[in-house]
Order: sequence, then C-alpha cells, then structure tokens
Amino acid sequence: QGNQTWRMVTTWPKNFPGLGVGAQRLADRITAASGGRLTIQVYAAGELVPPLQSLDAVIDGSAEMSHGAAYYWQNKSIALSFFTGVPYGMTSREMAAWVRYMGGQELWDEIYDQFGVQGFLSGDTGTQAGGWFRNELTGLSDVQGIRFRTPGLGGRVWEKLGATVTNMAAGEIFQALQSGTLDAAEFVGPYNDLALGFYQVCKNYYFPSFIEPGLATELVVDKAKYQELPTDLQAIIRDCSQAEYDQVASDFYANDPRALKTLVDEHGVIVRTFPDDILQAGADAAVEILTELRDSDDALTKKTTESFLDALSVLRTRSESTDGAYMQAREKFFKI
Amino acid sequence: MDPVFVGELLSGLMFFGIIGFLLLGFPVAFTLAGVSLMFGFVGMWFGVFDPSNFGSLANRYIGFMTNEVLVAVPLFIFMGVILERSKIAEQLLLTMGKLFGNLRGGLGMSVIVVGALLAASTGVVGATVVTMGLISLPAMLRANYDPRLASGVICASGTLGQIIPPSTVLIFMGDMLSGINSQVQMAKGNFAPTPVSVGDLFAGALLPGILLVGLYLAWSVAKAIFDPESCPATPVPPDEKKELLGEIAVALVPPLLLIMTVLGSILGGIATPTEAASVGAVGAMVLAALRWRLSFRVLREAAISTASITCMVFIILFGASVFSIVFRLMGGDSLVHEFLTNLPGGTLMAVAVVMLIMFLLGFILDTFEIIFIVIPITAPILLALDVDPVWLGVLVGVNLQTSFLTPPFGFALFYLRGVAPSSVSTAMIYRGVIPFVVLQLIAIAIMFAFPQIATWLPRAIYN
Amino acid sequence: MRAIALIVRVISGLNALVGNIFSWLSLAIVLVCFTVVVQRYVFATSYVWMQDLYIWLNGAMFTAVAGFALLRNDHVRVDIFYRPASIRRKAVIDIIGVIFFLLPFCWVVFAYGWPFVARSWRIQEASANVGGMPGLFILKTFILAFAGLIALQGIAMVLRSILVLNGKEELLPEKLRYERQDTAPAEVSV
Ligand code: NA
Ligand code: NA
Repeated sequence: QGNQTWRMVTTWPKNFPGLGVGAQRLADRITAASGGRLTIQVYAAGELVPPLQSLDAVIDGSAEMSHGAAYYWQNKSIALSFFTGVPYGMTSREMAAWVRYMGGQELWDEIYDQFGVQGFLSGDTGTQAGGWFRNELTGLSDVQGIRFRTPGLGGRVWEKLGATVTNMAAGEIFQALQSGTLDAAEFVGPYNDLALGFYQVCKNYYFPSFIEPGLATELVVDKAKYQELPTDLQAIIRDCSQAEYDQVASDFYANDPRALKTLVDEHGVIVRTFPDDILQAGADAAVEILTELRDSDDALTKKTTESFLDALSVLRTRSESTDGAYMQAREKFFKI
Repeated sequence: MDPVFVGELLSGLMFFGIIGFLLLGFPVAFTLAGVSLMFGFVGMWFGVFDPSNFGSLANRYIGFMTNEVLVAVPLFIFMGVILERSKIAEQLLLTMGKLFGNLRGGLGMSVIVVGALLAASTGVVGATVVTMGLISLPAMLRANYDPRLASGVICASGTLGQIIPPSTVLIFMGDMLSGINSQVQMAKGNFAPTPVSVGDLFAGALLPGILLVGLYLAWSVAKAIFDPESCPATPVPPDEKKELLGEIAVALVPPLLLIMTVLGSILGGIATPTEAASVGAVGAMVLAALRWRLSFRVLREAAISTASITCMVFIILFGASVFSIVFRLMGGDSLVHEFLTNLPGGTLMAVAVVMLIMFLLGFILDTFEIIFIVIPITAPILLALDVDPVWLGVLVGVNLQTSFLTPPFGFALFYLRGVAPSSVSTAMIYRGVIPFVVLQLIAIAIMFAFPQIATWLPRAIYN
Repeated sequence: MRAIALIVRVISGLNALVGNIFSWLSLAIVLVCFTVVVQRYVFATSYVWMQDLYIWLNGAMFTAVAGFALLRNDHVRVDIFYRPASIRRKAVIDIIGVIFFLLPFCWVVFAYGWPFVARSWRIQEASANVGGMPGLFILKTFILAFAGLIALQGIAMVLRSILVLNGKEELLPEKLRYERQDTAPAEVSV
C-alpha cells in the first residue's frame, strides 16, 4: 500500500488558539511520524462542512477524521457527553484515568461502533472559565432570566438555576452579546475567550466553570479505514493523539494565565468567583441531571453513567486528599 | 502529468465552462451544480478529485437549513412583500409625488426619496424597479419629464435596495465574511480580531447608501437648474393641497415609523437583524390590517412570494456549494491565490481586479450567484491582505448595483423595459441611466479615497 | 402524447400542492420568531425549542417549495439568449439542462444524502441544542424531498419539451405552457 492522504475536518476555526492549533499539530505529527505514508490534510470549521457536521462527514465518508468535542454529538447519543466532560465531573487528569484505566475507552468504543467510527482523546482545555456576565452576580437570584450562551448538559444546569439558555457557534456569540440578545456567555477560558472579544461587552469574568471542569477533545477516525491501516500507522494515530492530549493541555495551562493578565491589565476585566449559593445550586442541578442519566432507559447511557460515577467516586478520593490538600497548602503557606 | 497542475487547470476551466453553460439559459442554481459535478467526475477520472467529497453536500445543506443568521432573509422578504402587496409602497410614491410635484425637479426627487425609503424597508430590488416603473414613470411622463431622466432616476433609486439596509445581500455577505474574517485573522496570528457581523455590514452600508441618495438628489437639482425643460413642475390644485396633509399622515408616517423602528433597533445595537426583521414583518402586517388590506389573498400571495424568492436564493447557495467543493478540492483556491497575490499594484489592485470581475459577472449573473461564487474564493485572500471586511462587503454591494445599471446588460434596465410604455425607447433608457452610472463610479471612488465612510459608523455604534 | 401530458399535469399538480402548502411556513416563521422576540424582550424567558423551530421552518420551507419554484419558473436564468429564443429552442435547452445538470445533481444529493438521513432516522436524532426541537431527522429528510421534488419537476420539463418538439403543447393547460411565462418581467432579484 502506497502513500495516502486523509481528510481531517474540525469543529474549530483554523489556528484557533489551543484547539484549532492542536488539530493542525496532530495532523502534522501523524504526517511526520509516518514519513509521509499517511498525510493528514486539515479542513477548518466550515471549509468542507459546517463545524457541527464534522462527525457526520466522517460517518458518511467525506472525511476520514474529525477533530472536535464528543458532546457536540449528544443528539446522537447522550452518553457521548461523558467523553468531553459533564457538570461537576472529572478534571482532565481524572478523565484520562477513567478512559485509559477504568473502562471509559471500552464504553466509548461501544457507543461509536454504532456509527462505524472510533474515538481517541486528543486534547484537553483543563478546567474552564465560568463565563462572561454583563452584570455582577451577587447571588442565585441574579441568575433569574439572564440570557446565557452555554451548550450541552451545562446549559441544562444553568436552566435549572433560572437562566434562559441558548447555544450558538463561537463566531455568533459576540454579535449576540453586542446586540443584547445575550446577557452572558461562556466559551472556554482566557486563552480562547480573548480571541472572541467578549471583554468588549462584558467585564465580569467568573471562575470556575463547574459545568465544564475539563473539556476533552476527540479525534474520531473512520473505523474501517483505520483497521485497514498497517499496525504501525494505527499505532502512530493512537500515540500521536495521546501526545496531543498532553500537549494541548500544556498549551492551555501556559497561555490561560497570560491571556488573563492581558484581559485584566489591558481591557479592564474584573475576575470574580461564583457566589457559594450558585455553586451549591449548580451541584444540586448536576446531581439531578446525572441521576436522570443513570436511570435512563437506554442501556448504554445507563452503563456509561454508572461507570463514570463509580470512577469519579474513586478518583476524587485521590484528587481531594492529595492534589486538593496540596493546592490549599500551597496557596496558604508558600509565598515566594 | 502533475496532478496539482491538472487539478488547477480543471478548476480554471470549470469557472469559464460554467459561464459558458449559463448562457444557455437553464436555471443558474442547477447549471452551477450540474457543470461542477461534470468537472468533478472528470477530475475523478484524472485522479485529482475524490467523489466521496460529495458526501459533505448534505452536511452543508443541513447547515444552511439550520443557520440562525440567514433566517433573517425570509423575514425581511416577507416584510417587503407585504408592504408592496398591500399597496403601502404605491401610496407612498403617489403622496410624495404630490408633496414635491409643484417644485421644478421635485417629482424626480420624490421618486429618489421614496426609492430610498422602499430600499430601507425591503431587499427586493426587481420589485421596486417594477413598482416605480408602473407608478412613477407614467406620472413623470405626464408631467412632461424627459423620459431619459425619468428612466435613470427610477433605475438608480429602484436598485438602492441592496445597499440601504436591511438588505438580503448584506445578510448573506455578513454571514460569509464573519466566518472568513475570523479564520483569516487567526491564521495571521491575530487571536483577538474585531468580529464582523451582519449588523456591522448594515451599519457600514448606511452612509454609502445615503451618499448615493445625496448624489442622485444633487444631480436632480443640477438638472432642475441647468436643464429646467427636462423636469418641469406640476402644480397641485389648491383643493388637493388641503387634503395632502392628511394623506401624508396616513401614507408616510406609519411606514416611516416602521422603518425607523426596524433599522433603529439593529443599528442601535438593541436587536439582531433576525429579531428586528420579525418585528418588521409583523409591523407591516399591522399597517396593512389598519388599512383593511390584509386580506387572505394578500397573505397568500405574500407567503408564496416569500417562499419562492427565499427558495430561489437558497437553492443557488445549494448549487454554489457543489461548485465550491469541486473548485476548492481540485486546487482552484491556490490558483486564485497565486493570481491575486502576484498582481502588480498590491492590495488595491487585487481589490480592483476582483471588483472588475464581479462587475462583468453582473452583466449575466444576479447578485447572489456572484457573491456565492466569488466571495468564498477571493475574500480570504483579500482579507489576508488587510482589506477591511465591512468596507469590502459594502463596496461589493455598490459595485454590483452599478453593474445592474450599466447598459446594455444591466438587470434594472430590463426590468424597467418590461413595464415602460413603448413611447420610451430602449435607447432612451440606456442614455438616461448613464449619468447615474457616473454617479455610482464617483461613489466608488469616494469609497476608495475615504474608506471611513463605510468603516466609521459600525465602529462608532458597536464599540 | 396524451399520457405524457397527463404525467406533466400530475407532477406539476403535486408540486403546486406542496408549494401552496409549504409557502405558509413563511408566515409561521414570522409568527414564531416574533413570539420568541416578545418572550425574550418583554417576559425575559425563552425556549430553546422555539428558537430551533423558526430556523428549521425556513429550512423546510425553501427545500419543499423548490419544485414548485421550478414549476413557476422562479429559479433565475441567465436570459440574454434564453428570453428571446423560440419556444422550440427553449424546449431543447430545458431537455439538455435537465438531463445533464439537474438530474445528475438530484442523483448526487439523493445518493450521498440517503445514508445521512437514514442514520438520523435510526437514532431519532433531535436538535444539537439541549432543550431544542425533537425530530431533526424530519428536517434532514427535506434534503431528500428537495432532490425528489425537483427531479420530478425536471422530468415534467423534459416531457413538456417533448410535447413542444412534437407540436403537441396544446395538450397541456395554458398555465403549464411556455408562452405564459414570458409576458411578465421576473419579479424576483433581491
Ligand atoms: Na465551555
Ligand atoms: Na434594503
């Protein structure tokens, strides 16, 4: 078998900080590692198909790969939400542990088998920012009726808190904020949000995103074509994705704080933390939603939710007793 | 043969092939799609095109079918059609004619002002030229206007619709340019670009639109002073004068309020174009109902017109998608990129060349076909050369309007020809429109010299 | 020939029916969107499904009436040479256009769109927005309906052309013949 070229469609704009860049770098990595035997040609959002049609493009064979986030396809299977992140769910380290060591990948494969594709973790934003708000939030009552852009299950959480939730693509959010259609919006974190210009309209930047404690990106490949590849090329795709999972997270960790400094120093953005009653109500709503999913009639959704919650209850013992305790100690005592 | 060369050659041939086949006269949307498919299959034969790419067609189509920005299109069309079908536009024309008729040149100026008002309430160009041709042309001829001047005034002010917001052309252009701009800026490493929206384009087009209206009016004044024979006054009988005030209150004020509400809420940053459009559409129905003109028949006609015009436009977008898939994936993009970036004269020359191509295409194609084909190919390159997206979008609009006025192929001329009495010869229409083409060129020159005329307002409003 | 004329009438009747019904969606778009605006600005509430609904109605409308628009000759043509051409010549152009452009296009849209739509039905796909409309698979089906309806109308055009070339156009009712369409200037062009 000679050299071949695969098309990778993405849900991100070209060069989009962290995510779009990560997709391109993954493509370049695979091309380089395979010595050109497998060249990956990247098509940014909208170049070949609209961003939210990327998975369909792979299933339909008009692309071999898609780089995006699994929760975009929650209308194909709600269980896919878990492979991006759910409200009050896993951090990026915990997610990798579940997917690789605690049965996550097997469930993911089972879901994607229905569509003839396979998913790999391919990046992670780390814990996101909670959102941009036109007005300060002093408590839960301020959430009533605000028009908030936030997608997925996180959107349902905010709905339960009393917000009016809409979802729109990255490129449309600014316009909606500008025109007053939205009072608030969340996208990713400082590194990305700076690029979208939200600071021009909203000055209150809230942390942390309890609805998106991490956003894992995925690489989806056409399973039949993947299995036809020689094993070394299969390994290259798999391992390059794994390398990018780490690389993208590092990119966000390095650049989020720098972007936040720019936002605060140059654009007058005020960094705030959500009031406790909002965080508490968010947790209650998340419990309700996850319980609903665990009681789902769909066997695969039920199974995935159970696996995720079981893993989370194990993982959080380490995160809280070790990482969390350390973070608290460092913040409190270590001054340098 | 080098596959890159074959692909680029085929995509170039395809562009000209399409223009050739379009001249047959089969509907544009399907000719675009069909010829592109043929070239796609030829490309497949040469191994430079993978037909599995057609799998993305349905993906693109559902994207258009669920596009939030573009839904403003049927809403604005509905609003315009209701105003037209319920004769509100017609009444506006007649009343304004009476209001200014007793001035020398006044009738012509009233046609220009009403043309601008209709343009601010609708995006349907052909209908405006036809309406004004049916109502204002006979009135002007009765008042002994020079038929050449009358034709020029009607064609020019009847085509203002695509410049003066709201404009369906600007909606599509805004949707395309906002995506292209954010991609281009990020590709250039500008991670904090100023976003472009339909609202920006509407705001950007307002002053150039007013400039055009001003130029038309200035020309009318000049004619009234230096060539009084061409536009005599028509004195209004005194008894009609008394009724005039009441007529103005009924015919002029309500539509004016509607227009100001719709445009004001968009330009004031209060509502999105889509939201404002739905308010405008409901408002138009209310105005029609208040005049007892909102019959089932009017609603039915409005529904059918709206559906078929919307369909016509979106189906061109469907056809153009086939073109852009084949063209892009066979390497046409890089061909255009090489051409535009290697022109002597740099950025301005690149813009000028693109404008010239669009102007010439305007002789055979309608606005939508042109922007759906040309913008996705050329705008990424021009924006990468630091051309301002709002300025570019507005310039395209004015340029295409000019093209539609230019003899012998301009669309507006055909529309007017279709409704003009035989006493007005085609040659008269052609000669009458020439001064207005010159005025358009002056406006374009002003836009090149002072780009702020398009870029200032959006920044002032939204920042 | 009579059978051919009958087929033309049946197809055109179908598209006229579909077109007349689905045109009303334009009014529905206006009303639903207006309701969303009022809810948003006056009552500070909104429903994601309603935001989906008026957008989807547009998608359903313009795909469903495409065959009707073809019947009404509303799809713009480059008419420099077409408008002044004789009816026989127009008939020939329509045969060429339908066979070489329109039908292959319909086939590609249908063949490549089928698995896309079938999958959507299989998983009963809903809106990608949480809290959005159910039944995205129905909207997606309009892509196939679009291809089917314009293919049918295309076939009717070819059959009409055959009647014209055989001098039998009078078998068709007046409104389905060529002449009628050239009397009024095209109203559209936006
Ligand atoms: Na987010
Ligand atoms: Na307009």
